[in-house]
This record gives sequence, structure tokens and C-alpha cells, in this order.
Amino acid sequence: MVRIRRLLWGLALCLGSALASPAIAQQAPAGERCYLDGWGDALRCYRVPVSQSVGQSGHFPDGLAVMVAPAVNDGGREPLYLLAGGPGQAASELAPLLNAFRKVNRERAIVMVDRRGAGRSGAFRCGFERDMPADLEQFSRQLADCYLQRADFAESLSSRQTVADLERVRRYLGHGRIALWGGSWGTRTALLYQQWHPQSLSALVLDAVAPIDSKVFLAASAAEEALRELERDCVADPECARLGDWKGDLNRLLQGWSEQQARTFPDPLTGAPAAEPVKRWVLANAVRAALYDPGAAAQLPYAVRQASRGNYLPLSGLTGLFINNADSMAMGLTFSVACAESLNRISAEEVARDSADTFLGTAFFDLFHSGCEAWPVSAKPYGAPEPRDHPVLLISGSADPITPPVYAERRLDYLPNRQHLIVAGGGHINSRRGCIPGLIARFLNTPAEPLDKTCVAGIERPPFMVDAYGPALGGKAGAEPAAEEVASD
Amino acid sequence: MIEVQSIDKSFAGQRVLRELGFEIPDGRITALLGANGAGKTTCLRIVTGLLRADAGRVLLGGRDVAADPLAARRQLGVVGDREGLYERLTVEEYLTLFARMQGLAGAALRQSLDAVREELELGELWKRRTRGFSQGERMKVSLARALVHRPQHLILDEPTRGLDVLAARLLRRTLLRLRAEGTTILFSSHVMSEVAELSDCVLVMADGRIVGNGSPAELMENTGSDNLEDSFVALAYGSAARSECIEGTPA
Amino acid sequence: MMGLGNFSTRRMAALLRKEMLETWRDRRALWMAVCFSLLFPVMIAGSTTFFVKKHAEETTRLALLGAERAPLLEQRLRSDTLKVDALEQGEPRALLAGDYDVVLQLGEDFAGDYRNFRTPQLYLYVDSSSTATGRAERHLQERLGKLQQLVVGQRLVARGVAPQLLAPWKLEVRDVSTPSGRGAMLLAMVPGLLILTLFVASLATSVDTSAGERERLSLETLLLQPMPAWQVIAAKTLAVASMGWLGSLLAIAAMVALMPAMPLAELGIQQATTTAGVITMGLLLLPLALLVAVVQILLALRSQSFKDAQTQLSILQLAPVTVLMALDMSRVELDHPLWQLVPLVGQQQWLKSLLVGDPVSLPLVLAGSAASLLLVAMAVALGARALRRESLLGAL
Repeated sequence: MVRIRRLLWGLALCLGSALASPAIAQQAPAGERCYLDGWGDALRCYRVPVSQSVGQSGHFPDGLAVMVAPAVNDGGREPLYLLAGGPGQAASELAPLLNAFRKVNRERAIVMVDRRGAGRSGAFRCGFERDMPADLEQFSRQLADCYLQRADFAESLSSRQTVADLERVRRYLGHGRIALWGGSWGTRTALLYQQWHPQSLSALVLDAVAPIDSKVFLAASAAEEALRELERDCVADPECARLGDWKGDLNRLLQGWSEQQARTFPDPLTGAPAAEPVKRWVLANAVRAALYDPGAAAQLPYAVRQASRGNYLPLSGLTGLFINNADSMAMGLTFSVACAESLNRISAEEVARDSADTFLGTAFFDLFHSGCEAWPVSAKPYGAPEPRDHPVLLISGSADPITPPVYAERRLDYLPNRQHLIVAGGGHINSRRGCIPGLIARFLNTPAEPLDKTCVAGIERPPFMVDAYGPALGGKAGAEPAAEEVASD
Repeated sequence: MIEVQSIDKSFAGQRVLRELGFEIPDGRITALLGANGAGKTTCLRIVTGLLRADAGRVLLGGRDVAADPLAARRQLGVVGDREGLYERLTVEEYLTLFARMQGLAGAALRQSLDAVREELELGELWKRRTRGFSQGERMKVSLARALVHRPQHLILDEPTRGLDVLAARLLRRTLLRLRAEGTTILFSSHVMSEVAELSDCVLVMADGRIVGNGSPAELMENTGSDNLEDSFVALAYGSAARSECIEGTPA
Repeated sequence: MMGLGNFSTRRMAALLRKEMLETWRDRRALWMAVCFSLLFPVMIAGSTTFFVKKHAEETTRLALLGAERAPLLEQRLRSDTLKVDALEQGEPRALLAGDYDVVLQLGEDFAGDYRNFRTPQLYLYVDSSSTATGRAERHLQERLGKLQQLVVGQRLVARGVAPQLLAPWKLEVRDVSTPSGRGAMLLAMVPGLLILTLFVASLATSVDTSAGERERLSLETLLLQPMPAWQVIAAKTLAVASMGWLGSLLAIAAMVALMPAMPLAELGIQQATTTAGVITMGLLLLPLALLVAVVQILLALRSQSFKDAQTQLSILQLAPVTVLMALDMSRVELDHPLWQLVPLVGQQQWLKSLLVGDPVSLPLVLAGSAASLLLVAMAVALGARALRRESLLGAL
């Protein structure tokens, strides 16, 4: 009887512990339930305390905002950290990427850290919320005021600090080695993390890579090359080819852009003339922006053709595609990092060489150049990159107007274990397209094995807009032009 | 001593036993004879305490079966129908478990088991499961189970049915030995020759009553028959007679 | 009830040992218990895997009639899941009866109407009695919807309108379920099946130990032993419950073992069953196993014969599932703590929570289990009384 009673007692203890365990078994900090726009499932949100360096102002009482999409089934695989671009973009803006990374998320937590001065970590916006001023001087003035108000904070922001913060977050969350996904400028942060904390890193996925020594703000040649590729693809499409020399039209349009045209350029939201005149450099940047996304780029030939004939509506509509994108960039952060780590390395000759014979000219560079004059942070150079043997997956769009595939091909020789996926006709950031998410998941699971890249060729440019009715559904896409149309040309 | 004191029993309004009464003395073998439906089985079940009488009482060794069944059963061994074995247990397991249920343990348990194994010649069957045993083998195991705790009272329901010669002989030998040891033995049977040979006393039941009792010789004499079968027929189906072998209450 | 004072551990142990030996040596009953216990976890795992595979990999086939009028349309409809065959001509009914899941026919002057903004017709032929049609239609709608969005976007841009004007607001859906909770739908039937396993696994044994023993006339011998009747019922209950319990433990183990093989993650479901949870589930089922066993024994003892007992208990085993389903369908709110005191319902609720990794309340579990055990005790007492009924001993 005694034995039976002891057995029962044992069972009771066991039951008690089983019932109690869901409440206590948590080694990592629990975090709070939260949501991000663009992803429907709940995330765990943390505030990771960061210490302030001595002699620097800019309070950080709330700590870094860290958002984690927990692995559906945590099998102990290393988590994937998403690093945003900009440099002023917040990782929390990358939440829509989680839709593409569902497969990765099944077994890995996906971590988004808003770097200091971005998003939920005290966004340093300088008052630029949604609309960018079309006037460069006014832009510089506003920046200068902002800088003066928080000069110490502006000076404190850097890639080095961001990398150190990432490392702190990694330790705070109790993660061992981590994998990094970087997009655009986020690839720079990822590459620097790889340089400075190689032991914490398992693998890198770099989409639209900006190598450590690259000068991404010299974007005129890259944009020109992207436009030429668009032109080549348009010529190869019989329906688009009928739009003729739209690229020549673009150059003429930009060269002859008048005050009158700038003032009457219609606003795509209201239909009325734009409140701020659309100056030449704004228009050139709008065309450059359209090249980021192949869907928008496919509408450029028709829009430009129409504009050259005096119909600015399609071009205006095209600018309407990017209206919401401006609000994610924290300008203070962008200039702190861009001026200290990139713009200061660019010489006037380089600018001249890059902008010569391009539709963009210095329209993009000028924006940053004048901004940096109002933002006198000290230069923060990095050392030359040292070889690292982590597996690296590089993803480029062949028609990326800012980080062309040559960056990945020519400037990353110090990474022996790299693979490169090039999406034909792809723009800036291709991680969500076609089979790329699947390839990323496979790469993360078996980073040492070469990927079968054949499916990348199946990613197509969206159909060109060829007329007011849109794409030529009834046309002979990819086939030879119809006989009578060739005759009439 | 088994004392049955004017018990009544009805099932669904039908009276099965009518003021039935008799006493079975120690050290005797008593046979209970009766036609089918005479109430033998009901009578035995009331004696063993399986059923309760509507009226009257049964004493086993002076203990009221209904009032203190557990004490009464410790002094009781029953060989019921031989189907009552457990096919998935070996003879050893079967007997051990029943001996334990009777409260035996340790050395006493081992001694009892050894004794029944010897007495009932169970050596070869000992480690076998009872599935597929012959009628004789089943009877031996049943009897061993009924005897393992050395009860004062032994009740057997048609023990010889279906037995071969050897088994029947073993049974007879065992009963005679038990009688010599002073055990009170009551058995029901149809087989007149066996009753005649084995029993010291015979109770004849008909229609829920004792219609005759006495030694086989007395019964034959009383009914004027030269064999027990005729006297049974006369008693069960014909006129009643009286004997002094057992004090009973004839109709 | 006969005096508890006469309780003897040694005698009870012998009785229990006899019942256990009898139970566990019954190969047929053991096989039945094991087979059924493994059957449903395997079926759930199999059907889930099959469902996901079919859902994810199955491609559907579309016949496009008049494709030559819109080559780009044909090209844009193609996807990994939708196979498009351009056909010059064909009869939709015949095509649907053949290899194709859906047939899309372009209007006569599709290209012209499209160019002139005249909204040309597309005719979709479906066979709504076919299972693949729904999926194929979904695949097609998905592709067609994307293409339509693209065309509308371009048409708006061509007129200088930002496409966002068509989206006066953006609906952000926020799912408050937990990844483990999402498994509740899939795993909802598991508690009921575990409880059913209890019934089925102990069925053969309970009939054998009660109606069977009576029919083999060994029950009488047992009742002639100097032990109170409640001990006989209790020993039989424990033996039968051990078989039922084993069955359900086996089912839980199989279920949990098969979970990693199930494509739960693909369904966005987190496998949240912990080892502690599994052990708890097993312990939770013990009082229920006892209750099921004793109820089965009582019913079998009441029945006329072995066969009759089997029939009655077969019907009884449908009862829990029916009750639980009825409760589920009638949408009775089972959240009230009092429900957890009701046997079957309580266990079902706890199992459900533990399967998806939710905590369960220890006091309620203890109270509910105590309620079940109280019923077991009452049933044992009832059984002890039943053993004294003459009808139980069969024909006289």
C-alpha cells in the first residue's frame, strides 16, 4: 500500500509540473504581442536597452525597437535578421517581406531591428514626413535647422553603432549565430557586421548589394544602364517597339524642360497642376525611381512617348506609383550615415565621370550633395574588407538603377563562398519575386551547396504598357510583329 | 455441519423452494438427488451464499451465510460447473491466486499448493494453461481450487458428469479421504450408481421440497425397491417415505 | 456495500493480478486495442499530409479556346499551378469530360473590344460537380485577378491617375490566434478520438471479464471467494481500464510521434504539444478510463448474453463522440468552469488545450478528475449490488 501511495504522489507531482510548465518555460525574454502593417500574424516586440556612449547626447530611454516573427516550429535553426536600406529605412517597414519568407519563417525566427533614428527607434525625420520639398534650397535649409537642433545625435549615428546594436540585440535575444538578409543599404550593414562580428554570423543573403567600397550615390551611370536595358527589352517586344525612339524623347524632354512645363505638370492624385512645380531634377529622379520597379518601368516607354507629344498624364500617373514610399525614410538618419560614410568619399571628377551622357546627370547626386553640406558630420571611414568565408547569396536585378549586378560581380572577391542570382530585367530588390523566396529558404538550410538557378530565368518583365488600354493582350507578345503593322510603320 | 432451516425462494412469483430444511453432518458424504427443476441448484446456491433465501437461514459451521458471508466462505469449498476455469491462466497461477484470495500466503500457501498437486495428480498439468483441458483435467483443477484452503465444507454440483474412469476414481478417492478427515461433503448428482457407492446419506428433492432422505439402503428399503434408481423415482414422482438418517422436513 | 473493514490488500492484490493476467493475455483484445489506437493517429497524419500535398502540388489544367486572339493573356495566365493549353477549337463539355478542369473561352472579337475599352466577355466553363473544378477556378481567378489589376493600373496611369485612388483605404488584417492555436481546428477531433479510443480499446476486455465470465460460469466461483463484491468490480474495472488507458496512451504517443511528420508548419500551425503536456494528457485520461471501464462492465453485466453485451457496448461507444459532437455543433459555450466538472466534456476541453499548448487550470483539472472518480466509486458500489442479483447468475 505504501508503495502505491508513493507512486500516486509521484504522479501528482508530475501532473503539477506539467500544468505549471507552460507558464514558466521561457529562457529568452518574452516580449510583447504586437503587429506590423503588411503582416497579419502577431509578432513579439521588444525594447532592447542600449547604453549611451560617453559624451554623446540624443536620449535613448526607450531602447531599440525589435520585432520578432517567431518560427512556426522552432527547431533551433539560426534566426534571420532583416536589415533595411536607406540608410534611413526602418526594418519594421520590411514586414511585408514576411509573406515571401513564410517558408523561412517556418523553422527560423525572423528578426527586425529598427536601427537608432529609424522607425520605432526614435525616427530622426527632421520634419520630412511624407512630401519631399521640390525646392533644393528649402530642403537644405530645413536639414540644416534639424542638424543644429540635434547635432550630437546626428554625429552619433553610424554603421558601426548599428552593427554594435545588432550584436547587442543578438545577445539580448539569446541567439547563437544568426543569418542576415540585407536589402540595398542594408547589405552594407550586413557586410560590415560580417567584418566586425564574423563569429556571430552563419550566412548572408544580400539583395541589391552595396559593397563596402562602392559609391552608391553615384547612380547616374547605373540608372542610364538600366534605362538602356529597358530600351533593349522594349525593342525586342513588337508592340513596345512601335513606340519608337522614346529614349531619345526622354533626353529631349529633360533637356528642354521649361518652367512652364514644371508648373503645369499635373498632380496624379488631384488631377490639378502640381502644387510644387515639377522641376527638371525632380522629373529625372521620378524616371530613375520608376526604374526601381519593373512594373513601373514597363510603363515608362509609353509615358515618355506621350509626354514628348505634350500629354503629361501618363508620366504624372507613373509618379503616382511612388507616392507612399517617401515616408519610410528618416532623413536625419539617412544623411548622418550617407554623408559620413559615402558622400565624403566622392570627388568632383567621379561625379562628372558618372553623370556624363546620362539622362539623370547629377540630379540624384545633387540632392545628397546639397543635403550633406547642411549636415556636417565627420567622416567615418571603414577599413578595407578582409576575407570572410561565410556562405553568401547575392541577388541582383540586371536593370537595377542603383546597385547594378557589377557591384556583386566585381567588388566582392574577398568572399570566396558566394553565389549570385541575377534576375533578368529585374529592378532594385528581387527577394519577393518568383522562385527567389524558395531559393533563399534553400540557401539558408544548405548554405554550402550550390543552388539550382534555372528557375530565375523564368522571372519575366511585366508586360509593357503600349497604349491607353494598357498591355497588348491581343498583340503578338514575344512573336514577330504582325505583318500589316510592320507595313504601316 | 451445514444447517438449512426452512428456506423459501421464489423467482418471478414462482416458488422454487418451499420451507426447505435439512442438516448435513460432518464427516459424511451427502448426495442431493432431484429431477431437473427440483430446485437443487437454487438450493446449493443459497447454501453457498450466492443467492439469498426469501425466508429461513443457512448456517455453515454455525455461521449465518447471509449475515457473515465472508467468514462462511472461508470454511467453504465449492466445485461448481467445471467451465469456471480461466483459460489464460496456468494451473499453478490459477490455484495460487485463489489460495491468496482465501488468505493464504508464504509457507502455508506453498504447502497447500504442494498438497493439492500431490493429491490430485496435477504435476503434469501444473505449468499449463487450462485452455483445452479435458473434462477430467478440468474437474481436477476445480477440485484443487475448492480444496486448496482446506475448507470444512465442500459442496459439489454434479461432479462426475463427463468424467472418465480414472478421473472419477480419483474424485471418489479424494472424497473418501476428505470424509475420513471429517469434512462435510454435499454433492448433487444424477448418477445413481455413484450415489449408491459414495454417499452415506441421500436427500431426494422434488418440487422444492425434501421428499426423502436416508442412507441408500434405507431409501431402497423404505420404497421397497431393489435399486436406488427405483426408490428415487418412487420418491420424486410417487409416494413419500421417511427415514431417520437425516432429520428433515418431508412434505 | 459489504464492510470496507474486511478489506485485505493481499486478497485484493491476488484478485487484481488474476484480472490483469486475464486481460493482458487476451491477444485478440490486445490487438484490437493496439490497432484502433494506432489507426486514428495514422489516419489524421495521413489525411493531413495528403491534403497539404494535394493542395500545394496539384496543378490544374485550363483549356483556353480562342487563345490566338490574345497570346499575351495566355502567357500571363500560366503559372506553376495552372497549366494552360491553347486550343483552336473544342467543345467545352467534351473538354471538361476529358483532361481539363476548366475551360476559358475568349469572345469572338476579344482583342478589338479590349483595345476599344468595350469590356469583352470571357466565358468560363466549369463542372461544379467535379472536385478539381473549384481549385482550378481559384487558380484561374488568381491569375486573372492579377492580370486585371495590372491592366487597370496601367490604364489609370495612362490617364494620369495614381492607382492608389482606387484604394480609398487599406485593410490590414491582424490575426490574434497563436500559431499553435491554429492547430485547434485540425486537432479538434483528436480529444474526441482519444476518448473514443478509450471506449474501443476497453470494449472487448470489459465484455470478456463480465458477460464472458458469467457465460463461462467462472464468475460464480469468483463470487464464492471470501471477498466483498465491490472488490470484484473494482479489480475488473482496474484491469479493463488498464487496457483502455494503454490504448489511449498509445494513441497519444502515436499522435505526438507523427506530428513532426505532418506538414503542420506548412499550414502555419505550430506544434506546441510538450512532453509535460503529453504526460499530463495521459494522467488526465486515467480517471476517465476507469469511468468508461466501470460503466462498460455494468452494462455488460446487465445484458442477456455475451453477444448482447457486445452489441450494447458497441452502441455505447458511439455515445461519447455523439455527445461531444452535439455539444460542438450546438455551439454550447463550454468555457464555464462548471463544464469541466462533467466527465468527457472536461477531459475533452483539457486535451484540446494541451494539444495546442495552452495551459489548463490545475484546480479545475483536479476537481473534474475527482468528479469522475466519484462517479467511478458510485458505479463500483452499484456494480457490487448488481452482483447480488439472482438474474445475474443466469438461467436457473
